Amino acid sequence: MEAVVITGVGVISPLGTGKEAFWQGLVEGRNGIEEIATFDTTPVRSKKGGLVQGFNPKDFIRPLKIRRLDRASQFAIAASRMALEDASLTIGEDVTPERTGIILGSGFCGVVSSEAFHRGQVLRGPGDLNPILFPNTVPNAAASNASIELGIKGPNSTVVQSFCTAEAAMLFASQQLLAKRADVIVTGGVDELSAILYRGWNELRLTAWDAGEGERSAPYDLKRNGFVPGEGAGIMTLERRTDALQRKARIYSQILGVAQTGGATHPGEGVARAISGALQRGGMKTVDFIDGAGNASPRLDRMEAEGLSFALSDRSLDIPISSIKSMIGEGIASGGVRIAADLLIMEQGVIPPTINYEYSDPLCGLRIVREGLKTPVRTILHTGISLDGTYMAIILGRGNGIS
Amino acid sequence: MEDNRRVVITGMGVICATGSTVAQFLAALQEGRQGIKEITLFDCTGYPSSMGAQIDGYEPLDFFDKRELRRLSRDDQFVLIAAHEACADAGLQSTARNGERSGVCLGVGAGGMRSAEAYHRQLLDGKRPRPSLLLPFVPSYATDRLAEHFGFQGPRASITTACSSSATSIAYGAELIKSGEADVMACGGGEALCELTFGGFCSLQVVDPLPCHPFDARRKGLTLGEGAAVLILEDKERALGRGTRIYGELLGYSLGGEAFHITAPEETGKEEARIMNEALQDAGVRPGEVDYINAHGTGTILNDQVETLAIKAVWGEEAHQIPVSSTKSMIGHCLGAAGGLEAVASLLAIQHHFIPPTAGFERGDEVCDLDYCPQPKSTEVRITLSNSFAFGGNCTTLVFGRGDL
Repeated sequence: MEAVVITGVGVISPLGTGKEAFWQGLVEGRNGIEEIATFDTTPVRSKKGGLVQGFNPKDFIRPLKIRRLDRASQFAIAASRMALEDASLTIGEDVTPERTGIILGSGFCGVVSSEAFHRGQVLRGPGDLNPILFPNTVPNAAASNASIELGIKGPNSTVVQSFCTAEAAMLFASQQLLAKRADVIVTGGVDELSAILYRGWNELRLTAWDAGEGERSAPYDLKRNGFVPGEGAGIMTLERRTDALQRKARIYSQILGVAQTGGATHPGEGVARAISGALQRGGMKTVDFIDGAGNASPRLDRMEAEGLSFALSDRSLDIPISSIKSMIGEGIASGGVRIAADLLIMEQGVIPPTINYEYSDPLCGLRIVREGLKTPVRTILHTGISLDGTYMAIILGRGNGIS
Repeated sequence: MEDNRRVVITGMGVICATGSTVAQFLAALQEGRQGIKEITLFDCTGYPSSMGAQIDGYEPLDFFDKRELRRLSRDDQFVLIAAHEACADAGLQSTARNGERSGVCLGVGAGGMRSAEAYHRQLLDGKRPRPSLLLPFVPSYATDRLAEHFGFQGPRASITTACSSSATSIAYGAELIKSGEADVMACGGGEALCELTFGGFCSLQVVDPLPCHPFDARRKGLTLGEGAAVLILEDKERALGRGTRIYGELLGYSLGGEAFHITAPEETGKEEARIMNEALQDAGVRPGEVDYINAHGTGTILNDQVETLAIKAVWGEEAHQIPVSSTKSMIGHCLGAAGGLEAVASLLAIQHHFIPPTAGFERGDEVCDLDYCPQPKSTEVRITLSNSFAFGGNCTTLVFGRGDL
């Protein structure tokens, strides 16, 4: 049966831009979360964020174009370009523009322009509106700008699905490939953190704050009290396995199973159903590693632990689990950066630590990796847990790209 | 993975300026009745237009209680109202009949922007706004509420490609059924008029000061509208098995990008033509077999010209014989709900044997010289094609056929 494989990766994260810098940060267990200096956090309780530092759009985009692109679009263009280059694919040579697609998860892309445009409407009135801002207010501006910049004319879409935004985009992309509607699709997630979004997360009382332990992203920790908002982009190049094998591409991973479920009466059951579904599709009973969605939200981390325990029973105590959100924070589309990490984890055979984990929570009885762990990783269970009852599980298998 | 699964539509629900049920919407389409008036939801003073296809006389408390309303934006309310009708129509109103094999995939435009605007305005005024106004701001909010209300526990996605969102939601929903991920999908989308979007289109100078006139020589731009459409997509075998009514089948689709410009369409129409051709090929339909084109037809000078050129490129000489209409002439451009409402209009055309008109159309110009159907007309409709084109060059074309083809 035909399958979808991942042959390229592009990543922009608080730990660095490009897969090498990102990987270096992950294995070191470096904290990518800092006090926010780029906007004012005085009106709100939280002070820290996982912001991308040192990203230079000029490395990826012609200077004249940069001015008209919002930051999210710059991320999308840069990460898509890296993902295609990493897959050694040139549009127009190796694949036609019409058979190349782009399906991205959008983590509040467009909000910066929306806020600026609406502020103008309220403060200056209808007479003085900035027409340059409006086209970038739509969530699909990032994928669309990337399609224009890279010449992608095939299936083009943008998806949002709460904290499973990037995973949902990847399922969409996989389906398009299996239905042979494209030969190559770049997919993943882009998050842009802004003052207004930061304020919103704070208003909804979802973010981490200093309650005595410092403000930290502490997934699965007993004293966790919310997530740290983050930003970045993780974009992958997907192809059908037959095509990738034929062109002798380096294959990072094969997507062995994906399942998406919606809230059941008991949330842990919904999570478990996604995990069991993905395992079943992959014809597997267990995996070597769990890339946990844990974002330090008191409720969601517990729900994830419950779901893992329902689906895997005692095995959930033995399989190593780690959440890289401890280092990069949470954006609703950070599943893209996490999938990028998954590929590198399998390639390198090292599991990065969950930093900030100090006090074990009896309701999150999992084998949490606190120090980097060198071990062959052939299969990964990647979970996606959202606030609004969408749960996802993706099983990734190691490809032939082992160094 | 199961091969050759076919996807049919077994339920529809609608709310828009010309009706709050499918029956009312149908009557308006058959009469060519326009729902465009002065916008009263917000102050349009200072804007070049005050026209909108606003849902008049809408009283939220007729549908929801006060507690529910604190957590639902106007857009979410429209989606749930349409979903209620669609689920009842398809015989899926009882949550017990739905479950793990039923999913939701909706298109979203501005989503909960109206609530977010209220929050932001108060913030700028130095007040402390109610945080729950922000809840519906995540574009997947309506999808999750629909799933929760009707017990849909299968796959979920929210498509956020502006004007093509809900058309794409139908395409992706169908793909999830074809691939065996689900048996039933609630698709479509919603839109509520909001000041940001209205001001945004005004700033681009593409809003007609008068009610929009798609394809007409007098056209000066679009008129925004609001509403929701929900369609129940179902595996054909399952639908036949339970003996439910079938409105039609999604025969094929294409999703593409123009890779041209963030707001303007590629001016020769070759990209739009390619996408229409791909959709026809996917459906296994020759251009000459199409009985009706439900055009994107926004009423902007450029869109209508380019779409006409694209239709001519696909149909050649036959382009002048095929009825083309823009239902936006009656219900405005409902952005996130547009493709869904137009899919409903297309399926009603098939079921009730008529061509919905381009209301108010009088005369075209040197490029726009097709049969834009100013009057509704009765005729057999077996196959329809519906276009949705969006900012960023996101183009989606859907091809529907009668259920017994």
